[in-house]
Amino acid sequence: MIRLRSVSKEYERRTILDALDLQVDTGEFVFLTGPSGAGKTTLLRLLYAAERPTQGEVWVAGRRIDEMGRARLPLLRRKIGVIFQDFKLLRRKTVLENITFVLRIHGVAPREANRRAMKVLRRLGLQHRQAAFPDALSGGEQQRVAIARALAYQPRLILADEPTGNLDADLASELLSLLCDINYQGATVLVATHDHAILESIPARTLVLHQGQIHYDGMWPP
Amino acid sequence: MAAVIRHAIAEGLVVLRERAAVSVILALALGVPIALAGVGLTIHQWLGPVADLSGQKSSVAVLLHPQLEAGERRRWIAELSTTHPDWVVSEVSSSDLAARLQRWFPYLEDLMDSGDATLPPLVEILTDNPESVTELEDRAEVLAIGPRSSIQQTLGQVARRLALIVGVVSFVLLAGAVLLAAVWVHLELYRHADEVIIMRLVGATEGTIRGPFLVAVAIPGILAGALAVVGSLTTVSGLSKLTAALGLSAMSIPPYVLVLQLAAGVFLPLVAALITFARHVGDATEN
Repeated sequence: MIRLRSVSKEYERRTILDALDLQVDTGEFVFLTGPSGAGKTTLLRLLYAAERPTQGEVWVAGRRIDEMGRARLPLLRRKIGVIFQDFKLLRRKTVLENITFVLRIHGVAPREANRRAMKVLRRLGLQHRQAAFPDALSGGEQQRVAIARALAYQPRLILADEPTGNLDADLASELLSLLCDINYQGATVLVATHDHAILESIPARTLVLHQGQIHYDGMWPP
Repeated sequence: MAAVIRHAIAEGLVVLRERAAVSVILALALGVPIALAGVGLTIHQWLGPVADLSGQKSSVAVLLHPQLEAGERRRWIAELSTTHPDWVVSEVSSSDLAARLQRWFPYLEDLMDSGDATLPPLVEILTDNPESVTELEDRAEVLAIGPRSSIQQTLGQVARRLALIVGVVSFVLLAGAVLLAAVWVHLELYRHADEVIIMRLVGATEGTIRGPFLVAVAIPGILAGALAVVGSLTTVSGLSKLTAALGLSAMSIPPYVLVLQLAAGVFLPLVAALITFARHVGDATEN
C-alpha cells in the first residue's frame, strides 16, 4: 500500500527526512512515533501528496505519487482518509455538512451522503451535535468530527496525525478501537502519535522516527 | 458530472447569499454598460439608411465655364487626374445634368424646355477629402464648386462620432465591471482559501473547487444580461416614440443585439473568473 524509496525532504537546507525507506502492506495497522520535529507530519504529508520529496520515490496504492500531476491527485486522495492534527474543518458548515460535503465531492447522492454521515456520527457519539458549527464544539468533539469525515467515505488507507491529541483516555481508546475495526475490514491504517500509552494499548507494528530516519521498526515496546 | 454541477450550484448560492450586496452591484455594473452598448448599436443601425455611415468617398460637383470647349475640358480633366491621383474626376453629360436638374427642381420645368445645350459643363470629383477640392476655386476654368459635404455625410459623421463615444464609454465601463468581477473572485478565493485547501486534501477536483465561484459570478452575469435587455428595450421604446413624433421611422433593437447582450452578461464575468483562477489559485492555496 505504501512504499518509500530513499525519500528525503529538506526545508530551507534543514533535513527533515533523510533517505527513508519504508514499506507498509495492505491491511497493516502501523504506528508512527518519535519526538516532536522527527518528521512524522512531513511523512504523512508526503503520503497524501501535500508535499513532494526533495528526492526519492513515494508510492501509494500502487502509484508513484511524487511525480503525479495535479489533475490526478484528487483520485488518489479519494482513496485516503486523512485525520488532520489541526482538524481542518470547514468553519462555515455544520458538523453534518462537514461530512456530507466530502461525500458529495466524492459523487455520493445527497440522501445517501446524509445517511452515511449520520451513521458515522452515531458511531462517534456526535449525532446530537450534527447541527452545531465547529467553533461551538470542544477540541475533542472537533477531533471526532475530523475522524468522522475521514471515515465516512470508507477509504482504503487512513492516515491519522495525532488523532487522540484532544481526546480523553476513554474517547482515545474508543477511537483506537474504531480504527482497529476499520483495519479489520481491510483498510490500511497509519497513525502518527507521540503518546506511548496508545502504542501500548494495541499490539501493532511501530516505526520510530528520529532525526529523519527510522530508528526502530517492530512491535511495541521494543 | 451531475454531482459536480449540483455541488457548484449549492455552494455557489451560499457564496451569493453571503455576498448579496456585491452580487447586485456586479449585476448593475455589468448590466448598465451592456445596455448602453446595445442602445448605441441600435441607434447606429437605425441611422444607417438615413446617414452615410459607410465612410465612402464624397462627391463634389464642379461647374465649369460654358465657353470651355469639349477638348479643353478633356485635357483639364486629364490634368486633374494626373496631379490628384486620389481624385476620380468624371464629366457629367448635358443630358444627365438636365435629368438631375429636372429631378431636383421640378418647378423649373419651363426653363428646361429650351433643351440641355444651354447648360454649363459639370464635372464630379470623388474624393476622401472633399475640402481639398476648394483649391480649384482659383482656376480660370472653374465657375463654381458645389457643397463639400451632404447632409447625409454630416449626419453620418455625427452618428459615427456618437457611436465611437458610446462604444468607448461602454467599453471603459464594461472593462471596469469585468475588473470588479475578477477582483471579487480573487477576494472570495482568499476568503475561502482554507476551504479550497481542505477540498483539495479530501479529493476534490479543480472543477469541483472552481464550480461554486463560477456559479457565484454567472448568476449576477445572467441578471446583468437580463437587466441590459430590459433596459435597452425600454430605452429604445422611448426613443422610438420620440422619432415617431418627429415623423421619422420607428426604431427597434435587432434580435442579434439582444442575444449579444445576454451572452456578454454571462460570459464576460465567467472569463474574468477563469483568468483570475488561472493566475491566483496557486497564490491563495498552497496544496
